[in-house]
Amino acid sequence: MPEIRDLLDSRLKVLMYAIFATLGILFTGLYFFQIVHADRYVRLAYNNRLRLIRFSPPRGEIYDRNGVPLAINETTFSIMGYPLDLDGQGMLTRVSELLMEYGIPMSVEDLERTIKKQRWAPYRVIRLVPNLTMAQMAELVADPEFPKQLFPLPEWRRIYPAGPLAANLTGYVGEISESELRNSLPGEYIGGDLVGKGGVERYYEDRLRGAAGEEAIEVDARGRKVRTVDLRSSEKGESVRLTVDMGAQKLAMELLGDYRGAVVAMDVKTGAVVVLASSPAYDNNPLAWGVSAREWREITEDQNRPMLDRSIAGVYPPASTFKAIVALAALEEGVVTPETTFVCTGALRLPSRTFRCWRRSGHGSVNLTSALQHSCDVYFYQVGMKLGIDRLLKWVRKFGLGDSTGIDLPGEAGGNIAGPEWKKRRVKENWYQGDTLNYSIGQGFLLLTPLQIARVYAAIANGGRLVTPFVVASESRKPVDMGVLPEKLAVVQRGLNNVVTRGTGSRAGRFGVSIAGKTGTAQNSHGLDHAVFVGYAPADNPQYVAVAMVEAGEHGSSVASPIVGEVLAYILSHPVDESGNQEKFAGRKETDNQGEYQKYVAQ
Amino acid sequence: MESSSFREDWVALDKLLFGCVLLLLCWGIACIFSAASGFAGHGMEYALRQIGWGVVACAACVAVFAIGYPKFMDMAYPIYGLTLLLLALMTLAAPAVKGAQRWISLGVVRIQPSEFAKISLILLLSKFLSRYPPLTLKTFLAGWGVGLPVILLLLGQPDLGSALVYLFIMLCVIFVAGAPLRYLFSMAGLGLSLLPFAWFFLRDYQKMRLLVFLDPTRDPLGAGYNALQSRIAVGSGSFGGKGFLQGLQSKLRFLPEPHTDFIFSVYAEEFGFWGTTLLLVIFGIVFMRIVAAGMKSRDVRGKLLVSGVAAWIWFQMFENIGMSMGLMPITGITLPFLSYGGSSLVAVSIALGLVGSVYVSSAKRYRQL
Repeated sequence: MPEIRDLLDSRLKVLMYAIFATLGILFTGLYFFQIVHADRYVRLAYNNRLRLIRFSPPRGEIYDRNGVPLAINETTFSIMGYPLDLDGQGMLTRVSELLMEYGIPMSVEDLERTIKKQRWAPYRVIRLVPNLTMAQMAELVADPEFPKQLFPLPEWRRIYPAGPLAANLTGYVGEISESELRNSLPGEYIGGDLVGKGGVERYYEDRLRGAAGEEAIEVDARGRKVRTVDLRSSEKGESVRLTVDMGAQKLAMELLGDYRGAVVAMDVKTGAVVVLASSPAYDNNPLAWGVSAREWREITEDQNRPMLDRSIAGVYPPASTFKAIVALAALEEGVVTPETTFVCTGALRLPSRTFRCWRRSGHGSVNLTSALQHSCDVYFYQVGMKLGIDRLLKWVRKFGLGDSTGIDLPGEAGGNIAGPEWKKRRVKENWYQGDTLNYSIGQGFLLLTPLQIARVYAAIANGGRLVTPFVVASESRKPVDMGVLPEKLAVVQRGLNNVVTRGTGSRAGRFGVSIAGKTGTAQNSHGLDHAVFVGYAPADNPQYVAVAMVEAGEHGSSVASPIVGEVLAYILSHPVDESGNQEKFAGRKETDNQGEYQKYVAQ
Repeated sequence: MESSSFREDWVALDKLLFGCVLLLLCWGIACIFSAASGFAGHGMEYALRQIGWGVVACAACVAVFAIGYPKFMDMAYPIYGLTLLLLALMTLAAPAVKGAQRWISLGVVRIQPSEFAKISLILLLSKFLSRYPPLTLKTFLAGWGVGLPVILLLLGQPDLGSALVYLFIMLCVIFVAGAPLRYLFSMAGLGLSLLPFAWFFLRDYQKMRLLVFLDPTRDPLGAGYNALQSRIAVGSGSFGGKGFLQGLQSKLRFLPEPHTDFIFSVYAEEFGFWGTTLLLVIFGIVFMRIVAAGMKSRDVRGKLLVSGVAAWIWFQMFENIGMSMGLMPITGITLPFLSYGGSSLVAVSIALGLVGSVYVSSAKRYRQL
């Protein structure tokens, strides 16, 4: 078909002409802008007089479950300026001298460093001096020497009324770091913005931070505002309400005293965390205002590691508290019945080695209930041997161990369930029967966080449902049914009940509530043994579970069990105050810091 | 005999076309270096990455050239089917990141499938329209019909800018394929009368861009600001330009996305009128050589393929440069060969490989005749 080819060729020619016609249009346009009107655009480019101000939004507040404030905002003033105006000769010297005069120690070098850190574009506003009081600001603005190119801006400073009592939980805010800035979406943050650096502040950053406002203004040649070009209001962040009870939290911190350790308490049915205490603590208020490098080093290099949240990131051997899992596994796997007895002579002699019970004189004939009650090691050696490590590990995993619990806080540790595979990989040794025996009484390589221990006992208390712990009230997730038989669970519960009524944990039961639980003494190769107690209350209708881990506390029975008893008694006698406080959680509100700012600019 | 035929092909290669394209590519890398040095000295990083993509693009171009366009024509339908499947999966599965699902992430590199889908559409149209020339109303409508699914998928992503490129490619290929002018004019009339209804399908930011195009003072901080600042950049270049790396508009961040969408503004500011004129001349040579390949070819499929590639580069060039001057609305369409971005560079290089192959196949004797 030659004729179609001819048609196509003629059409291709038309296409070619069309392309050249448009190239001509572009050429004409470029001629028009780059030659005819070039002077105008050159002038516009050099006189670009647009300035941008960003209003940081007030963050959402954080409250405990009764509406007690844990993180709130306070108005402070910052001195703002534009790089375009500050670059001028002697400007910084003048500003520095003025500040010194009013007792604000900012040298020229300090100012230069601040500007360099926030510089993004010359027309983008920079926070020159933060955190001034109303009085300081008023004095400065009234001084005739105060440069007209600078102006005050009301801003928000974070205050943590609870300070060290809940520092690990609330976390703190700080200036966004360079790597955080790089990893954020474009336009989300700019240098100098405050972001959550730990705890709830970090985990719920997106909810708490709100949306920044922005104003574009046109200025004259001396940097004074001529008109507002565009204005976008800032939006306050969403406030969050925690499940934590500050009264109970405070009590737990006081009971921990000078010990290093942690206390965790939560609702057994939902996983709502009521206490999440870690000791020693740090004060998060100075961190939110900015600390010097030396102060920061003092906190981070402290031997006691106050910034480690021991409740969710400290890992410890569960010791005898682990025996409840072994007992339930043995019953469920049919290895023992409630009636099965073993005789404890104070030790179990194997050809390779002798494994001792903590009580050298022995416990005599023990069944499952009495073995839990007296924490008899020999009984659990026997059960562990019959069960074998594989079936034991199956139940350990069923309780969600070996993984983090999924609590809505950053930095949670997963612990280590250290089975044969792990030992082969890490220690390059085979798994021996002796390892299984040690494992059965919660010693050896096994490491859990206090939160994980609390979660295990919540499942035992609530009828075998594994909860996901949470600290923000709206974040409850559905528990997972583990499928254990209620009558088998009842046997374990009876044993735990006896621990407090007539066994090793009797000191937990002296605070007016019936408690069931388990003591533990975790071997510590670096010093004194760690004491642990985990219990739930009321024993016959469990509502709350609590665990106390006391480093170098030696015996769970004497140090840890009264802490759990007292904390649980407090929680049960102080139910949630459902009335009021709702208006605090009404959600995002338009803020009026632009209005306030206008007042100051108008001067 | 594969190797000797490749050597023959190489000798017959349109050196002028590929020389111009290489020149554009190098120029682009220089501009990317300049544009990206504006944000905290990332210039070298972006330039090196674009050089890497340039190497990949050259390799892809040579590979496609060596295989030859007839093999791709044979596979046109399955390639198109696969493309549709991929785009559909993306639209359904990809999480809505900022409202647009245009990227597939492969570890370190992100790929924009809509760039590669242009090749597949051109192959499909060339094959289909050479078999069923759009001379009757039925085949004319069928030609539009086969390309429609890919446009609908893009609108669903939503990627209005790419959808416009596709629509324009289809229009040009169907025009070159010999569609009667009365069909084309009726089609255009119908399209124009439907235009007001399209308004309701636009997203808010797209409406804003169009409104701002009509009235730049409407949103001086947002889209209107960009258009204005870009025109200031171009205009302030005046005749001689401010010199390489001396552009203030891009360095002071008055220009958004200076290394991708607004690369031309960076170039125009730093090289001035003589530079932009030279750029237009080189683009003109590129278009001439592409169309020449089609005129030389005796294969209808080759002619159509070439017209599709020309339409693609033409539309993007015109829209991008027009947008930089404020003559066209802002759409986020990149400038071929110059803008930063691997997917668009590799895709357009593959297309040029096909064009090169059309050119040499007509230069050689038809062995089968």
